[in-house]
Amino acid sequence: MTSLPIPPQRLPLLRPRDCVVGGVSVALARHLGWSVDSVRWLFVITSLLGGAGVLFYAWLWATVPLEDAGPDASPEAPVRHRVPLRWLGVGVCAVGAVALLLAWDRTGGLLSGLLLALAVALVAVGVFGPWGIRLWHELIAERTKRVREEERAEMAAHLHDSVLQTLALIQNRAGASSEVARIARAQERELRQWLYSGVGTADADLATDLKDYSAALELDYAVRFDVVVVGQSAERSSGELAAASREAMLNAARHAGGEVSVYVEASQAAVDVFVRDRGPGFDPQAVPEDRLGVRESIIGRMRRAGGTAVVRPGAGGTGTEVQLHFEPGRAE
Amino acid sequence: MSDPVTVVVVDDHSIFRSGLRADLDAAVQVVGEAGDVDSAVAAVARLRPQVVLLDVHLPGGQGGGGAEVIRRAGPASPDTRFLALSVSDSAEDVVGVIRAGARGYITKGSSGAEVSQAVATVAGGDAVFSPRLAGFVLDAFGTAAGEQAQTDHELDRLSAREREVMRLIARGFSYKEVAAELYISIKTVETHVSAVLRKLQLSSRHELTAWALERRLL
Repeated sequence: MTSLPIPPQRLPLLRPRDCVVGGVSVALARHLGWSVDSVRWLFVITSLLGGAGVLFYAWLWATVPLEDAGPDASPEAPVRHRVPLRWLGVGVCAVGAVALLLAWDRTGGLLSGLLLALAVALVAVGVFGPWGIRLWHELIAERTKRVREEERAEMAAHLHDSVLQTLALIQNRAGASSEVARIARAQERELRQWLYSGVGTADADLATDLKDYSAALELDYAVRFDVVVVGQSAERSSGELAAASREAMLNAARHAGGEVSVYVEASQAAVDVFVRDRGPGFDPQAVPEDRLGVRESIIGRMRRAGGTAVVRPGAGGTGTEVQLHFEPGRAE
Repeated sequence: MSDPVTVVVVDDHSIFRSGLRADLDAAVQVVGEAGDVDSAVAAVARLRPQVVLLDVHLPGGQGGGGAEVIRRAGPASPDTRFLALSVSDSAEDVVGVIRAGARGYITKGSSGAEVSQAVATVAGGDAVFSPRLAGFVLDAFGTAAGEQAQTDHELDRLSAREREVMRLIARGFSYKEVAAELYISIKTVETHVSAVLRKLQLSSRHELTAWALERRLL
């Protein structure tokens, strides 16, 4: 076997993240093995020869990539310029504008008009340039963030489709009390927490809030919620209707378990919420006075908010159905 | 009991297929399985099952998933009925597969007995509506907001009774419970449900498309 010839040790042409202006001189010096100062002087001297150095510098600045930010830094870690580029740009524009105005004084005719226009343009760039650059950076950051959120949502959807289903199936098949089911349930809980952590907002709309809440209840109780939402409402998670709905769902999870259907029908005029379980059922009349759960937190709450609540046996006499009705306009 | 219903199970997760297969009761006979669009189309054309249990999301083919299987396999085996099986919450997936010709939609969380029952219903020519599908229908036809279109076209709106039936199904009522609640027979409930399914499949209602488009954007 022949060994490969060792290539000459030449560092790749990459601009450092901590730089004076653009990092071009340092990059070139490292790549060629020259001293940084000699490269800088070369640029200065060639710049005096009709501006060739400046052009070459700009071209390298635009084309040479940045070096990696290191393993633990985020990919768009800021690049530090020791010379404040924004003010450098403003300064160049100002000097250019003054020079053009001086030249305009000495010329006449068409050329003078052209020079004046150029000067005005330079001033405009100097004034609005920094602001435009900042706006551009914000736009880029915004887009990166959105793309990331989309990716996360996509992955969550995929995992939901595949892994969570499999885990649910294992629990179904293994029997509720077996060791395998317990492990599968623990895994499902961990995965769900990872998938949905930090997704909910502080004041979500009613539908999102009830869906999130059902996912949370599914973790703590042996219950499966089917939340169906029709229409859109302005009702928020901080409202009384949402609080009463959550209470009804909690009761269903705690006392009935199994399958629970939640149906939200929203229109401009009114919002209806139905929570229906298939548990042992319960008679509101038979609840002792001191048990405040349903009486206060659901029926009383809805009445105070200007809505209505009905607790009745579920269809066919199995389970319980809580019906909440609320008209946002009337309650004000 | 008559002969068992022949079924092909199409899902890209083999664990799910075998689990479902073991869960189905004796009235259902699984004659084949497939894991992607192309093999599903081939299996349906070859085996000509009465019912295909079809996952909405499938790899392969032209990326059309379950809806593509229905469109391509339907002509080869005209008597086969498709039942969509999904965990998907998204309306466009579900309504898409229904509009492609599926006779119903149930969630993957359903028990073996429920799936078997749904297969029997679909094999008998009726439609299977889950609460979620009923919700999508109510949403799509704009019934909730009281914005029922003032249109002469019968396909473009639900009758008052159909709306009531859909609403009860969305609340989690079984067909039997719907029948008891409305004082009608189960057969009548099934007729209403089938009529709604037909409307969902055939309606070219502008709002339906607009609604679906809007959902995709969200």
